[in-house]
Amino acid sequence: MDPVILLQMLVAAVIGVVIYTAIGVAPGTDETAVLAPVTLALVVAGVALPVVLAFFMAAIVAKKLTDSIPVSVAGIPGGVMSAPMVEHALILKREGHATLAIRKMASGSVIGTLVAIPISLFLAFLLTPLADVLGQYASQIFFGGAVFLALMSREKVISLISIVLLAALIQALRHFYWGMGVIPEGQTVFISFFLGITIGPMMFNLAQLTVNRERQTMTESAPKQIQIHGSDDTGRLPNPFRILNRQEATSAAASSVLGSVTFFMSPVGITIFLGEVMSSWVKGTVAKASRALSSMDAVTNASYIAGILIPLAALGIPMSPMAIGPGNAFFNAPPVLTLEQNAHHLMSFWEITVASVLGAGVALLITYPIAVRYARRICLFVFTRIPHEAFLAMFFSLVMLLAYMDAGLMGILGVMVLALVAGLLNRWGVNYGVQFMTLYAAPWLMGLLA
Amino acid sequence: MPEPRTRYLNVWDDTVGGRDLLLSLCLSTPLTLGGYLLAPGPAPMPLICGLCGALVGFLANTLLFRPKRRIDTGEEV
Repeated sequence: MDPVILLQMLVAAVIGVVIYTAIGVAPGTDETAVLAPVTLALVVAGVALPVVLAFFMAAIVAKKLTDSIPVSVAGIPGGVMSAPMVEHALILKREGHATLAIRKMASGSVIGTLVAIPISLFLAFLLTPLADVLGQYASQIFFGGAVFLALMSREKVISLISIVLLAALIQALRHFYWGMGVIPEGQTVFISFFLGITIGPMMFNLAQLTVNRERQTMTESAPKQIQIHGSDDTGRLPNPFRILNRQEATSAAASSVLGSVTFFMSPVGITIFLGEVMSSWVKGTVAKASRALSSMDAVTNASYIAGILIPLAALGIPMSPMAIGPGNAFFNAPPVLTLEQNAHHLMSFWEITVASVLGAGVALLITYPIAVRYARRICLFVFTRIPHEAFLAMFFSLVMLLAYMDAGLMGILGVMVLALVAGLLNRWGVNYGVQFMTLYAAPWLMGLLA
Repeated sequence: MPEPRTRYLNVWDDTVGGRDLLLSLCLSTPLTLGGYLLAPGPAPMPLICGLCGALVGFLANTLLFRPKRRIDTGEEV
């Protein structure tokens, strides 16, 4: 491999680690919302794909590691994925083991990452022969995926209904752009719709603020109260393999393997399920919570890494919630990448391996010691220095930018309409997975019904 | 919709000030889109300038506005 590209990959990985270490700590940041626009922008801007992949892997691993920080230090989730872990972290805090939580979780992350990369590449190797068959039926697979995820979700009925409704809205907007002459007929708008869905919940919140009655329900008399506990370690850096006892390490590793194999399922669902199973036969509250935390953190890492690596290395279509969400830019980022000609086709297995190992390795080396040692200080810094307004405004403006690039002012209007609908559906329990799969299946589904 | 300074809004899982949110949106969006529209040069330049605009907006907002969170550090310091 070209040493210049290798150096770029290294730099990109370090940048990814720095940015996403900070973002990971911020409360409520969803992986898709914070990663998808940036990755997309990098791909469209023409950055070399291995460099983007190294950046992406570093960002994911760093974000997953720091996600655990607010959970253990303040009992609030740093992202959607860490929400199920709060309960167990609070148990450890109550028992007086606040610093134990971050150590167990960070070690789980390390094990999850180390197990998932080789397992995913091996699974990818096994699944490669399927790629051609799967590619031919991509639309049908996405539709099937949407139905499957809808049936697995808590709100099955509205999820199923929304597949058809959302598909209708998406195709309506595409024909609107063609009809208005903003986009040449036949050229498909994709990026801004994808971001519209991503930013849906936030846009819905912003729209609510303009409605008097809604605003009143969202008004608080006091700022959000965050309790920060525990103290930072000053001693030697703990070895991640020593923090977990043998049983914890074994169940974390086993969970990672299962989390990798089930790459096509919803990571949150798998995390909750495996966390409960792994801790169910442990006695004692502290031991139980430690086992749950280390296993859950390992699974989230594993299902994320497998969810991006397997579709990327083997399949060429985004066939997992992870690939269709945060990592979507690798599969479809017109005009640079399309479903027929994307990172799977343009990168060799070797390049994918090197980029992933490099990105994940840099993230582990930088973020693990920081997370374990300075958890409390990082939390204090982000909570007291970075206003939530700055995050909201940045994501809002990024989406506006990419929508404008897609279809000008009409693009911005279209994205707002779609975001409002997607945000409402999200609030009603239609998850991102269902919505993204629908976005891919929309042309085929509407063609079928027309 | 200007809000009295003593009230807070719960948006996307955290509390913000209504006025501050409005101002930060009004700062970030023109910087980002402006960077894109006014960028010199062809193809990737506008996007890069737009992204830089977003980053500048983020930094400016971070410096201009105070986070609306109450931090309780408990008994251990």
